[in-house]
Amino acid sequence: MRIVIAEDAAVLRDGLVELLTRRGHEVVAAVGDGESLRAAVEAADPAPDVAVVDIRMPPSFTDEGLRAAVTLRRDHPGLGVLVFSQYVETRYAVELLAGGADGVGYLLKERVADVRDFVDALTRVAGGGTVLDPEVVTALIGAGRRDGELETLTTREREVLALMAEGRSNTAIANAVFLTQGAVEKNVTSIFAKLGLPPSSDDHRRVLAVLRYLRSGE
Amino acid sequence: MDTVLRPFRTRRTWAELLYALVAVVLGMAGIVVAVLALYAGGLLSITLVGLPLVALWLRGAGLLGRLHRWLAGRLLGAEVGEPAGPRATPGSGFFGWVGAGLRWTPGWRAWAFLIVQFPAALAGYVIAVTFWFYGAFFVAYPVLRLVMPAELGDDGRFHNGIQLWEAGYLDTWPWILAVVVTGILLLAAAPWATHWGLWPQRFLVRVLLGPTAMSQRVRDLEATRALAVEDAAAALRRVERDLHDGAQARMVAVAMKLGMARDELDELQDGDPAALTRARALVDTAHAGAKQAVAELRDLARGIHPPVLDNGLPDALASLAARVPVPVAVTTDLPERPAPSIETIAYFCAAELLTNVVKHARARQATVAVTEPGDGRLRLTVGDDGTGGARTVPGSGLAGLADRIRTVDGTLTVDSPAGGPTTIAVELPLRA
Repeated sequence: MRIVIAEDAAVLRDGLVELLTRRGHEVVAAVGDGESLRAAVEAADPAPDVAVVDIRMPPSFTDEGLRAAVTLRRDHPGLGVLVFSQYVETRYAVELLAGGADGVGYLLKERVADVRDFVDALTRVAGGGTVLDPEVVTALIGAGRRDGELETLTTREREVLALMAEGRSNTAIANAVFLTQGAVEKNVTSIFAKLGLPPSSDDHRRVLAVLRYLRSGE
Repeated sequence: MDTVLRPFRTRRTWAELLYALVAVVLGMAGIVVAVLALYAGGLLSITLVGLPLVALWLRGAGLLGRLHRWLAGRLLGAEVGEPAGPRATPGSGFFGWVGAGLRWTPGWRAWAFLIVQFPAALAGYVIAVTFWFYGAFFVAYPVLRLVMPAELGDDGRFHNGIQLWEAGYLDTWPWILAVVVTGILLLAAAPWATHWGLWPQRFLVRVLLGPTAMSQRVRDLEATRALAVEDAAAALRRVERDLHDGAQARMVAVAMKLGMARDELDELQDGDPAALTRARALVDTAHAGAKQAVAELRDLARGIHPPVLDNGLPDALASLAARVPVPVAVTTDLPERPAPSIETIAYFCAAELLTNVVKHARARQATVAVTEPGDGRLRLTVGDDGTGGARTVPGSGLAGLADRIRTVDGTLTVDSPAGGPTTIAVELPLRA
């Protein structure tokens, strides 16, 4: 994979470069702010597959990374963008997904400590999948006021709902909760029926549908 | 001679004369209006219309007061501060406005001023006119008397002059000279006489039209409270930033390195012997990173509240001095232990002042002294033998420090001539 990294803390940036290079990926550029990120993506030839972007960067240290990510997704539809931050802000997730859920990810910084999972998530995003940090999903489910309808789900169904919202495929969900794929599919159908959502086989449209449902309860 | 002539060359003299003439006219108008308002207000106050009208009048009186303050400022050089305006709670509507106007003490004081000012203005006018007008008249007497119509005196002769007593006309040279000399003396004394004759008016403006000590105190407290709140918010933001950019980032890096090391150990298990060396290198880096994070957190905690401060200022200042690159001599004499909040403020003042010494003063030796001069206050003095020139320019670190000290009614004095040495003294109450 060809990767661009945007992270202002040097110690983290260098660590990420080392981590990814060890895994055999190519870090095309490692920058420290939104403007440099945009320039680096423009200049990279051939185009990078995915960008890893810290949300909080100079100059204003609020959400430069998010702005840059949204712009990049608009200008480079084939580029996967994985944003990460030290805090969960449901607002960021919503903004990021506003332009569609394919090739988008939002992780907490500490997830990089699980190196294999992190690289796995990066690969998924580069391939057009969706990745949402479980903490983000918890926050989204917790923030919504759809508890009444969520109560109609069984515990197992709620687990599957959370994993769907994280962007996982049925196979991945089956592995995570130790069910057969058939059982997972039955759960998914039941969830969609109980919540009144249109059934969709497309993973990222599914994520969007679930998230839209959860957010609309706020 | 020069002391006599100088006032005539300064603008203030003529301004005061102008004021004396203008104030009596304003005073006449003012007292008429004020008494009318008193009468009307008293009569109408029992009707529905009365109180709002009084509230309106009081605001008007305040405006007239402002006019007088401006005049006194421009012509007499008596700068008097403006009292705060009437404050109605927002949203209380018409009745709130009326109530605020009636409660507005400066309005009532301005009303009193308008009444009391007239006698004072009259006195000032009389004194000014006596000295100036008569002085000028007497000096010009030799010429003026010839313009006056001649009178037939008792002795059958025509006289040109002032008649003082029955047979005494001031038209002989000794008398004329006397008159002229009197005139010169009057004119010479006129500037002083006017100035002192206007003293009652200056007094009234200051006492009745200026802010009371209480309201001034309230305004000071409001300003320092705003500062304190801003300061606290800014300090918390700084802490969050330091944590986020420093310790948090470092710990994520440590976790990352350890994660990678774990992967290498897995690879070792799978039979790659070089993985051990790589794992070792990663663990080393993670180890160093963790230690650095601990050091950063320790510094951050010290920046929030140094634990040594719990032992008191002497120990805390000694430990602070030890960390400064320049040799610092610390002396403390604290018979009564100050309140913890004051100790904290004093400590951070000393820390900031010592940082300034290191950054700007190019000094070879610094001193820190803490004493209790006795009136329930604490005195912290930080001195150095450096280049001096420290000033509390608005926006500078020293000005910010002075502001923060002001929030507890403390004072900061700077003695820093160019070339040094510098002594900065901070006085704080023993209890906040």
